[in-house]
Amino acid sequence: MMDKLKLGVFELTDCGGCALNMLFLYEKLFDILEFYEITEFHMATSLSEGNHYDVALVTGTVSTQRDLNLLKEARNHSEYLIALGTCATHGSVQASVERPIREKLKAVYGDEGNPMRALDSKPVVEYVAVDFALPGCPYDKNEVYQVLMDIAKGIEPVRKDYPVCLECKLNEYECVLVKKGLPCLGPITYGGCNAVCVRSGLGCIGCRGPLPGEVNPAGEYEILKDLGYDDEYIVRKFKTFARWEP
Amino acid sequence: MIIELREFTRVEGNGKAEIVIEDGEVKDVRLKIIEGPRFFELLTLGRHYYDVPDLEARICAICYLSHSVASVLGIERAFGVEVPEEIALIRELGLIGELLESHALHLYLLVAPDVFGYPDAIRMATKHGELVKEGLALKAFGNRIRVMVGGREIHGINVKPGGFGRYPTVEELERVEKESEALLRLARRAVRLFAQLEPYGAQARHFVATDGYLWGEKLVSDEEGEFHYTERIEERSLVYSFAKQSRYKGEAFFVGALPRLLLKSGMLTPTAKRLFEEHREKLKTGYVSYNNLAQAIELVYSLERANEIAKTLLDRGIEGENVPVEPREGEGIGYVEAPRGVLIHHYRIDGEGKISYSNIITPTALNHAMMETSLLEEAGKLYGEADERAMIGRLEETVRAFDPCISCSVHLVKL
Repeated sequence: MMDKLKLGVFELTDCGGCALNMLFLYEKLFDILEFYEITEFHMATSLSEGNHYDVALVTGTVSTQRDLNLLKEARNHSEYLIALGTCATHGSVQASVERPIREKLKAVYGDEGNPMRALDSKPVVEYVAVDFALPGCPYDKNEVYQVLMDIAKGIEPVRKDYPVCLECKLNEYECVLVKKGLPCLGPITYGGCNAVCVRSGLGCIGCRGPLPGEVNPAGEYEILKDLGYDDEYIVRKFKTFARWEP
Repeated sequence: MIIELREFTRVEGNGKAEIVIEDGEVKDVRLKIIEGPRFFELLTLGRHYYDVPDLEARICAICYLSHSVASVLGIERAFGVEVPEEIALIRELGLIGELLESHALHLYLLVAPDVFGYPDAIRMATKHGELVKEGLALKAFGNRIRVMVGGREIHGINVKPGGFGRYPTVEELERVEKESEALLRLARRAVRLFAQLEPYGAQARHFVATDGYLWGEKLVSDEEGEFHYTERIEERSLVYSFAKQSRYKGEAFFVGALPRLLLKSGMLTPTAKRLFEEHREKLKTGYVSYNNLAQAIELVYSLERANEIAKTLLDRGIEGENVPVEPREGEGIGYVEAPRGVLIHHYRIDGEGKISYSNIITPTALNHAMMETSLLEEAGKLYGEADERAMIGRLEETVRAFDPCISCSVHLVKL
């Protein structure tokens, strides 16, 4: 049998969800383990024996010097690096607080100060070249399964290039933007989540980041404006998960 | 001399510790939370209340629903909104799903490898596959409840001020009723397994919990009746950690499964209560390591309570009506028992429904001082007795017993 590929999971600053989501694969994780050997994954194992990774999954934002060092280590020792989750691809929520880092630290930790060095939170893609970016807060676990299986079989994984609206229509969910007037970012957000929030009858909050290409954020802005949402609300909503783009 | 515990493994988030040795004795311990700060309170300032619970959910993946519910409770209290029993029961069911998912993750995947001497559950599975599978079955069931109530496994958006986007269906509730009964056997086995663990860590002297089993109007402690956190709990910044440290009347205290059982055993379901009584003497000693056993007993409680709630909702039928929410100027605190203990969301909201003040304190931050005390005592016992590797291993287990959630702990603020 062929040697298994070495897989590393590296967590920078985040909520832990993107690493946890790997464990939520359940039996599919064992399918992945047919092709991969996990040699770094500190949420799940006390072993740390890798110095070379065929595939590195990096989750979270770079928010400290430790994060940056770990990211560089992952990049330097891996063949194929995946920025996994919206923190890693677009910065997500913690990167959306737009104030100088010094001011933010002061607001949180007070004047006595926390002398620990923090960096302004930025996504992984701002610091290193990535081989694949898979957004989502959290990403859809079936998507990461597919991507890892593709790589194991020597196929370059395909990035989704359609908005959440498409999956919403395929599921035949009622349009919450048009029918209920809810602020739904589905028309301008990367698909791949199977329109999970619209399934609950609520608007897409844009957690997979903006879909580039032939989308129309100006049109979305006008629709929300017509529905009575004010400028600040709309701008904040647009930027919550994505101040950066991969 | 300083002994460094490298970054903790099999815990959520990034943290480490230093043991300071002077003159051949353990003098001090510094628990360092090195996860970067995440500024959640700043994120919510000026935001419209409707979007806030979805954002706060992102503080933590393992207990996102606790954050959503605490956030919603804080907002509803600020607006003077009361929800009917149906909505309260569905929220409770969601929190129970979270308790199952989180405790199963902790006990079976993070702690059990220590019990059997493996570096992780994947490698443990070769010999103890059944046990790992049982843990995953409990966890998956908890997650199915989280999907049903919260909208998805991680960071759902279904829990809203005044109600839900979507209500559970009869079929879903029937499934909860059936599965909770079927899984009870596994949870009882977990209690037997974790009851065998020897005690380690410090003996906590103070316990704090919410006044209801999974949420409350106020907090309670072992010494006195109800109080608001602002009356007894103080937070301060540390020079070596991105998490602040809290103290109860100036002393380290403990929140989590063990404090819940010790303070609220009267609210337990029948089998959980019996198991608590059986192990009461042990639990009463307050050793932090018995938090593992307490979590196992809570698995039993959660399954029994999920069954009760599903039955009640099926008997009454679901109306699925949200309570209208009208923003008004106000202040509210949401107290929830996240799987790891007391979680506090405190807001002031202006007349337009925008957040003007926000303070969040998570269980791991509340336990921060108690974790240091535990490490100090355990290191004091082991230094010079055990070899360094064994000592460090045990110290890691001591931290793990708190089931710390480090991502949660790094954004504490007063503005």
